[in-house]
Amino acid sequence: MAEKRITIRTTRFDPDKDKAPRLQSYDIPFSDDSMVVLDALNHIKAHVDGSLSYRWSCRMGICGSCGMMVNGVPKLTCSAFMRDYWPRSITVEPLQNFPIVRDLVIDMEDFMHKLKSIKPWIIRKQELPLGAGEHPQTTDQIDEFRQFSQCINCMLCYAACPVYGLNNEFLGPAATALARRYNLDSRDQGLKDRLPVLANTEGVWECSFVGECSVVCPKGVDPAKAIQQTKLDTTTRFVLPYGNREG
Amino acid sequence: MTAPAGDEAAASIGPATRAYKPEMPRGWWLRRRHYFLYMVREFTAVPMAAWLIWLLFEIRRAANGPKGYYPPASPAFIVFSVICLGFALYHSYTFLSLAGVIMHMKVMGKPVPPRTIIAAMFGLWLVASVVVAAVLIGFAK
Repeated sequence: MAEKRITIRTTRFDPDKDKAPRLQSYDIPFSDDSMVVLDALNHIKAHVDGSLSYRWSCRMGICGSCGMMVNGVPKLTCSAFMRDYWPRSITVEPLQNFPIVRDLVIDMEDFMHKLKSIKPWIIRKQELPLGAGEHPQTTDQIDEFRQFSQCINCMLCYAACPVYGLNNEFLGPAATALARRYNLDSRDQGLKDRLPVLANTEGVWECSFVGECSVVCPKGVDPAKAIQQTKLDTTTRFVLPYGNREG
Repeated sequence: MTAPAGDEAAASIGPATRAYKPEMPRGWWLRRRHYFLYMVREFTAVPMAAWLIWLLFEIRRAANGPKGYYPPASPAFIVFSVICLGFALYHSYTFLSLAGVIMHMKVMGKPVPPRTIIAAMFGLWLVASVVVAAVLIGFAK
């Protein structure tokens, strides 16, 4: 029986030689139904062309580093099964809306800056000494923010967001979802520290609710919900007389 | 095992000073169905605004009394109104459907499911439509 094969087309870009990215085709064996797109890239790198550059780490949808455009859709390549595409060819490109450093590697500096700007950690007005004990939470209190805490910073939502593509100043989906995660945490007291970034014109108000960020999220996070609820919260705080009281 | 040739290059990537910055193509909204429907949703505001401007113009004419008021009844205006109604209904449908995503309500300490919120929104829309229709019919009589 003839060996099953599949064509993978990947973006190639060498900043020292190329003016613009180009696509290169590789014809590789596809013998195992459990094969994912990341396996195909690893096969190319190990057996066909060792110069191919891309990011990956855990291979199990946790680290969020292998996000790429697979046939035009942002995907974690470790979770994109080849069987879902075969016998069609698969085109693998770097996450769109980001600068391309080399081949499939994007420059994530902008996202890292935005992530830091929303202070994604628990802020207390006054830290208690360790001896004062833990900050207990009920299950209901955890449920308030649980889904937003599943974000793995894979940036697929940024690649799916045309608003971010058109205006890179936009704070974006994942950063807002993580800000919401901490703002809803009963242990956190940092809402006022995050509001200047969130309520900025380049913050939540830049979003026109395309909603594709929530569609492509591999972890079931709903960043569109986080953004719209933050809009509602900031409006409430602005309009209602008691809205600006200390939380 | 010999390390693949690309490893050294990949490891040496420093600050992205020479990164290629792609631009969004003008036809980005035609690439995916979701993007296209989003653009249609956003566009609905244009025909609705056009029809409302016309309505304001009609109200201004009606202010001069019944003698100076001739409501448009041409087939072209009716077709225009029906098209605007279609866009208005689609706009309302998307707006109310998104309410389930936006609103975060609790009853008896339990979060209300988005489907319930959406159903309540459509129910209120139906009630409001019936009330407005009844008022308009009452005035017409």
